[in-house]
Amino acid sequence: MALAFVASQAGLPVYLDTLGTILATLLAGPAAGAAVGLLSQGITAVQAGAYMLAFAPVQLLVVALAWVAGRSAGLATTPRALLWGGATGLAAGTLSALISYAAFRGVTATGVTAITTLLTGAGLTLRQAVVVASVGTDLLDKLLALGLAGVVLRALPERVLARAPGARAAVGRADS
Amino acid sequence: MPPWGARIPEAAPLHPFTPPALAAAVAALAILLPMPWGPPALLAGTVVVVVAGGLPAAVGRALRVVFPLWILLLVLHGGLGPAPRVAVGGLGLSRSGLLLALGQGARLGAIAVAGFAAAATLRASRVLDAWAARGGTPHLGYLAVATGFAVPRLLARARTITEAQRARGLRLRGSLAGRLRALRALALPLVLGLLAEADDRGLALETRAAAAPGPRTPLAPVPLTARDRWLRLGALALVLAALAWRVAR
Repeated sequence: MALAFVASQAGLPVYLDTLGTILATLLAGPAAGAAVGLLSQGITAVQAGAYMLAFAPVQLLVVALAWVAGRSAGLATTPRALLWGGATGLAAGTLSALISYAAFRGVTATGVTAITTLLTGAGLTLRQAVVVASVGTDLLDKLLALGLAGVVLRALPERVLARAPGARAAVGRADS
Repeated sequence: MPPWGARIPEAAPLHPFTPPALAAAVAALAILLPMPWGPPALLAGTVVVVVAGGLPAAVGRALRVVFPLWILLLVLHGGLGPAPRVAVGGLGLSRSGLLLALGQGARLGAIAVAGFAAAATLRASRVLDAWAARGGTPHLGYLAVATGFAVPRLLARARTITEAQRARGLRLRGSLAGRLRALRALALPLVLGLLAEADDRGLALETRAAAAPGPRTPLAPVPLTARDRWLRLGALALVLAALAWRVAR
Protein backbone atom coordinates (compact mmCIF):
# COMPACT_ATOMS: atom_id res chain seq x y z
CA MET A 1 0.00 0.00 0.00
CA ALA A 2 2.83 2.37 0.88
CA LEU A 3 4.60 1.31 -2.33
CA ALA A 4 1.44 1.88 -4.33
CA PHE A 5 1.44 5.38 -2.86
CA VAL A 6 5.03 6.12 -3.95
CA ALA A 7 4.34 4.59 -7.38
CA SER A 8 1.32 6.86 -7.79
CA GLN A 9 3.47 9.82 -6.74
CA ALA A 10 5.87 8.92 -9.56
CA GLY A 11 2.93 8.76 -11.95
CA LEU A 12 3.28 5.02 -12.60
CA PRO A 13 0.06 2.97 -12.90
CA VAL A 14 1.27 0.04 -10.80
CA TYR A 15 0.40 -1.37 -7.37
CA LEU A 16 3.67 -3.12 -6.41
CA ASP A 17 1.56 -5.08 -3.92
CA THR A 18 3.68 -8.19 -4.40
CA LEU A 19 7.05 -6.57 -3.61
CA GLY A 20 6.71 -7.42 0.08
CA THR A 21 5.71 -10.97 -0.83
CA ILE A 22 8.76 -11.36 -3.07
CA LEU A 23 11.16 -9.93 -0.48
CA ALA A 24 9.71 -12.07 2.32
CA THR A 25 10.01 -15.18 0.12
CA LEU A 26 13.65 -14.49 -0.67
CA LEU A 27 14.65 -13.31 2.81
CA ALA A 28 12.72 -15.79 4.95
CA GLY A 29 11.54 -18.62 2.69
CA PRO A 30 8.35 -19.55 0.83
CA ALA A 31 6.25 -20.13 3.99
CA ALA A 32 6.96 -16.59 5.19
CA GLY A 33 6.36 -15.30 1.67
CA ALA A 34 2.99 -17.04 1.52
CA ALA A 35 2.03 -15.64 4.94
CA VAL A 36 3.00 -12.11 3.85
CA GLY A 37 1.23 -12.54 0.50
CA LEU A 38 -2.03 -13.73 2.05
CA LEU A 39 -1.84 -11.02 4.70
CA SER A 40 -1.19 -8.40 2.05
CA GLN A 41 -4.17 -9.61 0.06
CA GLY A 42 -6.28 -9.54 3.23
CA ILE A 43 -5.34 -5.90 3.83
CA THR A 44 -6.11 -5.07 0.19
CA ALA A 45 -9.49 -6.73 0.70
CA VAL A 46 -10.15 -4.62 3.80
CA GLN A 47 -9.27 -1.45 1.87
CA ALA A 48 -10.66 -2.20 -1.60
CA GLY A 49 -13.41 -4.76 -1.03
CA ALA A 50 -13.55 -8.35 0.18
CA TYR A 51 -13.82 -9.67 -3.39
CA MET A 52 -10.09 -8.96 -3.75
CA LEU A 53 -9.55 -12.09 -1.59
CA ALA A 54 -10.40 -14.11 -4.72
CA PHE A 55 -6.99 -13.08 -6.06
CA ALA A 56 -5.06 -14.65 -3.15
CA PRO A 57 -3.88 -17.52 -5.43
CA VAL A 58 -1.98 -14.92 -7.48
CA GLN A 59 0.10 -14.10 -4.41
CA LEU A 60 0.89 -17.79 -3.92
CA LEU A 61 1.92 -18.09 -7.58
CA VAL A 62 4.24 -15.09 -7.13
CA VAL A 63 5.76 -16.79 -4.06
CA ALA A 64 6.47 -19.93 -6.09
CA LEU A 65 8.01 -18.03 -9.00
CA ALA A 66 10.04 -15.72 -6.73
CA TRP A 67 11.40 -18.78 -4.93
CA VAL A 68 12.43 -20.39 -8.23
CA ALA A 69 13.93 -17.08 -9.43
CA GLY A 70 15.88 -16.81 -6.18
CA ARG A 71 17.24 -20.34 -6.43
CA SER A 72 18.61 -19.59 -9.90
CA ALA A 73 20.26 -16.25 -8.99
CA GLY A 74 17.47 -14.51 -10.86
CA LEU A 75 18.02 -11.17 -9.14
CA ALA A 76 21.80 -11.01 -9.52
CA THR A 77 21.58 -8.32 -12.18
CA THR A 78 18.85 -5.92 -13.29
CA PRO A 79 18.35 -7.58 -16.72
CA ARG A 80 17.91 -11.00 -15.06
CA ALA A 81 15.47 -9.55 -12.53
CA LEU A 82 13.48 -7.93 -15.33
CA LEU A 83 13.42 -11.22 -17.24
CA TRP A 84 12.00 -12.99 -14.19
CA GLY A 85 9.65 -10.06 -13.70
CA GLY A 86 8.35 -10.56 -17.23
CA ALA A 87 7.81 -14.28 -16.68
CA THR A 88 6.11 -13.66 -13.34
CA GLY A 89 3.94 -10.93 -14.85
CA LEU A 90 2.78 -13.22 -17.67
CA ALA A 91 1.93 -16.04 -15.28
CA ALA A 92 0.28 -13.82 -12.65
CA GLY A 93 -1.63 -11.87 -15.30
CA THR A 94 -2.99 -15.05 -16.86
CA LEU A 95 -4.15 -16.35 -13.48
CA SER A 96 -5.66 -12.94 -12.62
CA ALA A 97 -7.52 -12.92 -15.92
CA LEU A 98 -8.92 -16.40 -15.27
CA ILE A 99 -10.18 -15.42 -11.81
CA SER A 100 -11.45 -12.05 -12.99
CA TYR A 101 -13.39 -13.51 -15.91
CA ALA A 102 -14.70 -16.64 -14.21
CA ALA A 103 -15.79 -15.06 -10.94
CA PHE A 104 -16.50 -11.41 -11.81
CA ARG A 105 -16.97 -11.25 -15.61
CA GLY A 106 -13.95 -8.96 -15.87
CA VAL A 107 -14.92 -6.31 -13.33
CA THR A 108 -12.73 -6.08 -10.23
CA ALA A 109 -10.18 -3.31 -9.57
CA THR A 110 -11.17 0.03 -11.09
CA GLY A 111 -7.97 0.65 -13.09
CA VAL A 112 -7.86 -2.77 -14.77
CA THR A 113 -11.61 -2.67 -15.41
CA ALA A 114 -11.30 0.72 -17.08
CA ILE A 115 -8.69 -0.75 -19.47
CA THR A 116 -10.94 -3.79 -20.07
CA THR A 117 -13.82 -1.44 -20.93
CA LEU A 118 -11.68 0.57 -23.34
CA LEU A 119 -10.44 -2.59 -25.06
CA THR A 120 -13.99 -3.97 -25.35
CA GLY A 121 -15.05 -0.65 -26.85
CA ALA A 122 -12.17 -0.98 -29.32
CA GLY A 123 -13.63 -4.24 -30.61
CA LEU A 124 -12.09 -7.03 -28.50
CA THR A 125 -14.36 -9.66 -27.01
CA LEU A 126 -14.80 -9.44 -23.24
CA ARG A 127 -12.62 -12.50 -22.71
CA GLN A 128 -9.81 -11.10 -24.88
CA ALA A 129 -10.07 -7.69 -23.22
CA VAL A 130 -9.85 -9.20 -19.71
CA VAL A 131 -6.75 -11.20 -20.68
CA VAL A 132 -4.98 -8.26 -22.36
CA ALA A 133 -5.82 -5.85 -19.51
CA SER A 134 -4.80 -8.28 -16.73
CA VAL A 135 -1.63 -9.51 -18.40
CA GLY A 136 -0.64 -5.99 -19.48
CA THR A 137 -1.00 -4.44 -16.04
CA ASP A 138 0.56 -7.43 -14.26
CA LEU A 139 3.47 -7.49 -16.68
CA LEU A 140 4.41 -3.88 -15.90
CA ASP A 141 3.74 -4.38 -12.18
CA LYS A 142 5.86 -7.52 -11.81
CA LEU A 143 8.65 -6.15 -14.01
CA LEU A 144 8.98 -3.26 -11.58
CA ALA A 145 8.42 -5.43 -8.49
CA LEU A 146 11.15 -7.95 -9.37
CA GLY A 147 13.43 -5.14 -10.61
CA LEU A 148 13.01 -3.25 -7.33
CA ALA A 149 13.39 -6.44 -5.28
CA GLY A 150 16.76 -6.98 -6.99
CA VAL A 151 17.83 -3.39 -6.28
CA VAL A 152 16.82 -3.73 -2.61
CA LEU A 153 18.51 -7.10 -2.06
CA ARG A 154 21.72 -6.01 -3.75
CA ALA A 155 21.73 -2.89 -1.54
CA LEU A 156 21.43 -4.91 1.68
CA PRO A 157 24.58 -5.06 3.82
CA GLU A 158 26.43 -8.37 3.90
CA ARG A 159 25.62 -8.91 7.60
CA VAL A 160 21.91 -8.94 6.73
CA LEU A 161 22.34 -11.14 3.66
CA ALA A 162 24.42 -13.58 5.70
CA ARG A 163 21.26 -14.43 7.70
CA ALA A 164 19.18 -14.96 4.56
CA PRO A 165 20.63 -17.70 2.34
CA GLY A 166 17.69 -17.43 -0.07
CA ALA A 167 18.40 -13.76 -0.67
CA ARG A 168 22.15 -14.43 -1.01
CA ALA A 169 21.44 -17.03 -3.68
CA ALA A 170 19.00 -14.68 -5.42
CA VAL A 171 21.66 -11.99 -5.86
CA GLY A 172 24.28 -14.56 -6.91
CA ARG A 173 26.43 -14.43 -3.79
CA ALA A 174 25.68 -17.92 -2.51
CA ASP A 175 29.27 -19.14 -2.83
CA SER A 176 31.18 -15.93 -2.10
CA MET B 1 -7.15 5.27 12.08
CA PRO B 2 -6.75 1.66 10.96
CA PRO B 3 -9.30 0.32 8.47
CA TRP B 4 -10.80 -1.98 11.09
CA GLY B 5 -12.19 -1.41 14.50
CA ALA B 6 -13.48 1.93 13.22
CA ARG B 7 -16.83 1.51 14.90
CA ILE B 8 -17.81 -1.29 17.19
CA PRO B 9 -21.36 -1.76 18.46
CA GLU B 10 -21.00 -1.74 22.23
CA ALA B 11 -23.96 -3.94 23.15
CA ALA B 12 -23.08 -7.63 23.45
CA PRO B 13 -20.40 -7.86 20.76
CA LEU B 14 -20.19 -11.04 18.73
CA HIS B 15 -17.24 -13.40 18.96
CA PRO B 16 -14.52 -11.83 16.74
CA PHE B 17 -14.59 -14.77 14.33
CA THR B 18 -18.37 -14.60 13.78
CA PRO B 19 -18.53 -11.45 11.57
CA PRO B 20 -15.80 -12.74 9.19
CA ALA B 21 -17.62 -16.09 9.03
CA LEU B 22 -20.86 -14.30 8.15
CA ALA B 23 -19.04 -12.18 5.54
CA ALA B 24 -17.60 -15.35 4.01
CA ALA B 25 -21.10 -16.81 3.87
CA VAL B 26 -22.38 -13.68 2.10
CA ALA B 27 -19.52 -13.98 -0.43
CA ALA B 28 -20.38 -17.64 -1.05
CA LEU B 29 -24.07 -16.82 -1.43
CA ALA B 30 -23.25 -13.94 -3.80
CA ILE B 31 -21.56 -16.44 -6.10
CA LEU B 32 -24.11 -19.25 -5.65
CA LEU B 33 -27.43 -17.39 -5.86
CA PRO B 34 -29.00 -17.28 -9.33
CA MET B 35 -28.33 -14.31 -11.60
CA PRO B 36 -29.66 -11.72 -12.10
CA TRP B 37 -32.10 -11.38 -9.17
CA GLY B 38 -30.38 -13.43 -6.46
CA PRO B 39 -27.46 -11.04 -5.82
CA PRO B 40 -29.65 -7.88 -5.66
CA ALA B 41 -31.87 -9.60 -3.06
CA LEU B 42 -28.76 -10.62 -1.14
CA LEU B 43 -27.36 -7.07 -1.33
CA ALA B 44 -30.63 -5.62 -0.02
CA GLY B 45 -30.73 -8.13 2.84
CA THR B 46 -27.07 -7.54 3.72
CA VAL B 47 -27.53 -3.76 3.78
CA VAL B 48 -30.58 -4.08 6.05
CA VAL B 49 -28.74 -6.39 8.48
CA VAL B 50 -25.59 -4.23 8.54
CA VAL B 51 -27.50 -0.98 9.11
CA ALA B 52 -29.68 -2.64 11.76
CA GLY B 53 -26.48 -3.94 13.37
CA GLY B 54 -25.27 -0.38 13.89
CA LEU B 55 -22.72 -0.24 11.08
CA PRO B 56 -24.14 2.13 8.43
CA ALA B 57 -20.62 3.52 7.81
CA ALA B 58 -19.67 0.13 6.32
CA VAL B 59 -22.40 0.57 3.71
CA GLY B 60 -21.11 4.05 2.83
CA ARG B 61 -17.55 2.76 2.58
CA ALA B 62 -18.62 -0.11 0.32
CA LEU B 63 -20.61 2.27 -1.88
CA ARG B 64 -17.54 4.46 -2.38
CA VAL B 65 -15.57 1.41 -3.54
CA VAL B 66 -18.17 -0.27 -5.74
CA PHE B 67 -19.83 2.79 -7.30
CA PRO B 68 -17.04 3.29 -9.91
CA LEU B 69 -17.28 -0.43 -10.68
CA TRP B 70 -21.06 -0.15 -11.16
CA ILE B 71 -20.48 2.63 -13.71
CA LEU B 72 -17.89 0.50 -15.52
CA LEU B 73 -20.24 -2.51 -15.43
CA LEU B 74 -22.98 -0.41 -16.97
CA VAL B 75 -20.68 0.75 -19.78
CA LEU B 76 -18.99 -2.64 -20.29
CA HIS B 77 -22.07 -4.85 -20.29
CA GLY B 78 -24.96 -2.42 -20.81
CA GLY B 79 -23.36 -0.10 -23.33
CA LEU B 80 -21.13 -2.57 -25.15
CA GLY B 81 -23.24 -5.71 -24.65
CA PRO B 82 -25.05 -7.68 -27.37
CA ALA B 83 -28.47 -6.98 -28.94
CA PRO B 84 -31.42 -6.74 -28.34
CA ARG B 85 -31.31 -3.20 -26.96
CA VAL B 86 -33.71 -1.32 -24.77
CA ALA B 87 -34.01 2.45 -24.37
CA VAL B 88 -32.95 3.67 -20.92
CA GLY B 89 -32.86 7.42 -20.40
CA GLY B 90 -32.44 8.05 -24.11
CA LEU B 91 -29.61 5.50 -24.44
CA GLY B 92 -29.86 2.17 -26.24
CA LEU B 93 -28.51 -0.42 -23.78
CA SER B 94 -28.13 -4.17 -24.13
CA ARG B 95 -30.96 -5.96 -22.33
CA SER B 96 -28.93 -9.03 -21.39
CA GLY B 97 -25.95 -6.77 -20.58
CA LEU B 98 -28.05 -4.70 -18.20
CA LEU B 99 -29.24 -7.78 -16.37
CA LEU B 100 -25.67 -9.08 -16.17
CA ALA B 101 -24.45 -5.69 -14.89
CA LEU B 102 -27.24 -5.65 -12.29
CA GLY B 103 -26.43 -9.12 -11.00
CA GLN B 104 -22.67 -8.65 -11.11
CA GLY B 105 -22.84 -5.20 -9.51
CA ALA B 106 -25.03 -6.49 -6.69
CA ARG B 107 -22.70 -9.44 -6.23
CA LEU B 108 -19.70 -7.12 -5.76
CA GLY B 109 -21.79 -4.80 -3.59
CA ALA B 110 -22.96 -7.56 -1.24
CA ILE B 111 -19.41 -8.89 -0.80
CA ALA B 112 -18.05 -5.39 -0.19
CA VAL B 113 -20.74 -4.41 2.35
CA ALA B 114 -20.34 -7.66 4.31
CA GLY B 115 -16.54 -7.41 4.19
CA PHE B 116 -16.38 -3.81 5.39
CA ALA B 117 -18.93 -4.52 8.12
CA ALA B 118 -16.91 -7.51 9.35
CA ALA B 119 -13.70 -5.47 9.28
CA ALA B 120 -15.32 -2.65 11.27
CA THR B 121 -16.19 -5.01 14.11
CA LEU B 122 -12.67 -6.34 14.55
CA ARG B 123 -10.77 -5.22 17.64
CA ALA B 124 -7.14 -6.29 17.90
CA SER B 125 -7.13 -7.42 21.54
CA ARG B 126 -10.30 -9.53 21.13
CA VAL B 127 -8.98 -11.12 17.94
CA LEU B 128 -5.70 -12.05 19.63
CA ASP B 129 -7.50 -13.43 22.71
CA ALA B 130 -9.85 -15.48 20.54
CA TRP B 131 -6.90 -16.67 18.48
CA ALA B 132 -5.02 -17.71 21.64
CA ALA B 133 -8.09 -19.49 23.02
CA ARG B 134 -8.29 -21.49 19.79
CA GLY B 135 -4.65 -22.55 20.23
CA GLY B 136 -3.52 -20.61 17.16
CA THR B 137 0.18 -19.87 16.66
CA PRO B 138 0.69 -16.64 18.68
CA HIS B 139 3.18 -14.97 16.38
CA LEU B 140 0.92 -15.49 13.35
CA GLY B 141 -1.95 -13.78 15.14
CA TYR B 142 0.31 -10.94 16.21
CA LEU B 143 1.73 -10.63 12.69
CA ALA B 144 -1.74 -10.29 11.17
CA VAL B 145 -2.98 -7.73 13.67
CA ALA B 146 0.25 -5.70 13.82
CA THR B 147 0.48 -5.54 10.02
CA GLY B 148 -3.04 -4.22 9.77
CA PHE B 149 -2.37 -1.51 12.31
CA ALA B 150 0.95 -0.61 10.66
CA VAL B 151 -0.73 0.46 7.40
CA PRO B 152 -1.45 4.11 8.36
CA ARG B 153 2.06 4.47 9.81
CA LEU B 154 3.66 3.06 6.65
CA LEU B 155 1.65 5.43 4.50
CA ALA B 156 2.80 8.33 6.67
CA ARG B 157 6.40 7.20 6.25
CA ALA B 158 5.96 6.95 2.47
CA ARG B 159 4.64 10.54 2.46
CA THR B 160 7.59 11.74 4.57
CA ILE B 161 10.12 10.10 2.24
CA THR B 162 8.37 11.54 -0.81
CA GLU B 163 8.43 15.06 0.66
CA ALA B 164 12.08 14.70 1.73
CA GLN B 165 13.18 13.53 -1.72
CA ARG B 166 11.23 16.30 -3.41
CA ALA B 167 12.90 18.81 -1.10
CA ARG B 168 16.23 17.40 -2.33
CA GLY B 169 15.20 18.11 -5.91
CA LEU B 170 13.66 14.80 -7.01
CA ARG B 171 11.37 15.29 -10.01
CA LEU B 172 8.31 13.06 -9.93
CA ARG B 173 7.07 13.81 -13.43
CA GLY B 174 8.60 13.84 -16.89
CA SER B 175 9.80 10.97 -19.06
CA LEU B 176 9.16 7.31 -18.20
CA ALA B 177 12.87 6.81 -17.45
CA GLY B 178 12.77 9.79 -15.10
CA ARG B 179 9.73 8.46 -13.29
CA LEU B 180 11.34 5.03 -12.94
CA ARG B 181 14.40 6.70 -11.40
CA ALA B 182 12.06 8.61 -9.09
CA LEU B 183 10.33 5.35 -8.09
CA ARG B 184 13.68 3.83 -7.21
CA ALA B 185 14.65 6.90 -5.18
CA LEU B 186 11.38 6.67 -3.24
CA ALA B 187 11.00 2.91 -2.88
CA LEU B 188 14.55 2.02 -1.89
CA PRO B 189 14.71 4.03 1.39
CA LEU B 190 11.16 3.01 2.20
CA VAL B 191 11.76 -0.73 1.79
CA LEU B 192 15.18 -0.70 3.41
CA GLY B 193 13.74 1.22 6.37
CA LEU B 194 10.89 -1.28 6.68
CA LEU B 195 13.28 -4.22 6.58
CA ALA B 196 15.39 -2.66 9.35
CA GLU B 197 12.26 -2.02 11.40
CA ALA B 198 11.03 -5.58 10.87
CA ASP B 199 14.42 -6.83 12.05
CA ASP B 200 14.22 -4.71 15.22
CA ARG B 201 10.65 -5.77 15.95
CA GLY B 202 11.50 -9.42 15.35
CA LEU B 203 14.29 -9.20 17.90
CA ALA B 204 12.03 -7.44 20.43
CA LEU B 205 9.32 -10.07 19.98
CA GLU B 206 11.82 -12.90 20.24
CA THR B 207 13.05 -11.59 23.61
CA ARG B 208 9.38 -11.66 24.73
CA ALA B 209 9.07 -15.32 23.67
CA ALA B 210 6.60 -14.53 20.90
CA ALA B 211 7.70 -17.57 18.90
CA ALA B 212 8.02 -19.90 21.89
CA PRO B 213 5.96 -23.10 21.65
CA GLY B 214 3.13 -23.93 24.02
CA PRO B 215 -0.36 -22.64 24.72
CA ARG B 216 -1.10 -19.03 25.63
CA THR B 217 -3.55 -17.79 28.22
CA PRO B 218 -5.95 -15.16 26.87
CA LEU B 219 -5.91 -11.99 28.96
CA ALA B 220 -9.68 -11.54 28.58
CA PRO B 221 -11.26 -14.76 27.27
CA VAL B 222 -13.79 -14.13 24.52
CA PRO B 223 -16.93 -16.22 25.00
CA LEU B 224 -18.48 -18.12 22.11
CA THR B 225 -22.16 -17.57 22.88
CA ALA B 226 -25.20 -19.50 21.72
CA ARG B 227 -26.01 -16.50 19.49
CA ASP B 228 -22.63 -16.86 17.75
CA ARG B 229 -23.23 -20.58 17.22
CA TRP B 230 -26.72 -20.07 15.81
CA LEU B 231 -25.57 -17.29 13.49
CA ARG B 232 -22.73 -19.41 12.14
CA LEU B 233 -24.94 -22.48 11.78
CA GLY B 234 -27.63 -20.43 10.04
CA ALA B 235 -25.11 -18.95 7.61
CA LEU B 236 -23.66 -22.39 6.90
CA ALA B 237 -27.13 -23.82 6.33
CA LEU B 238 -27.96 -21.05 3.87
CA VAL B 239 -24.75 -21.62 1.93
CA LEU B 240 -25.29 -25.39 1.83
CA ALA B 241 -28.88 -24.91 0.68
CA ALA B 242 -27.77 -22.54 -2.10
CA LEU B 243 -25.05 -24.99 -3.10
CA ALA B 244 -27.48 -27.92 -3.16
CA TRP B 245 -29.94 -25.90 -5.25
CA ARG B 246 -27.14 -24.90 -7.64
CA VAL B 247 -25.98 -28.52 -8.04
CA ALA B 248 -29.51 -29.89 -8.43
CA ARG B 249 -30.54 -27.26 -11.00
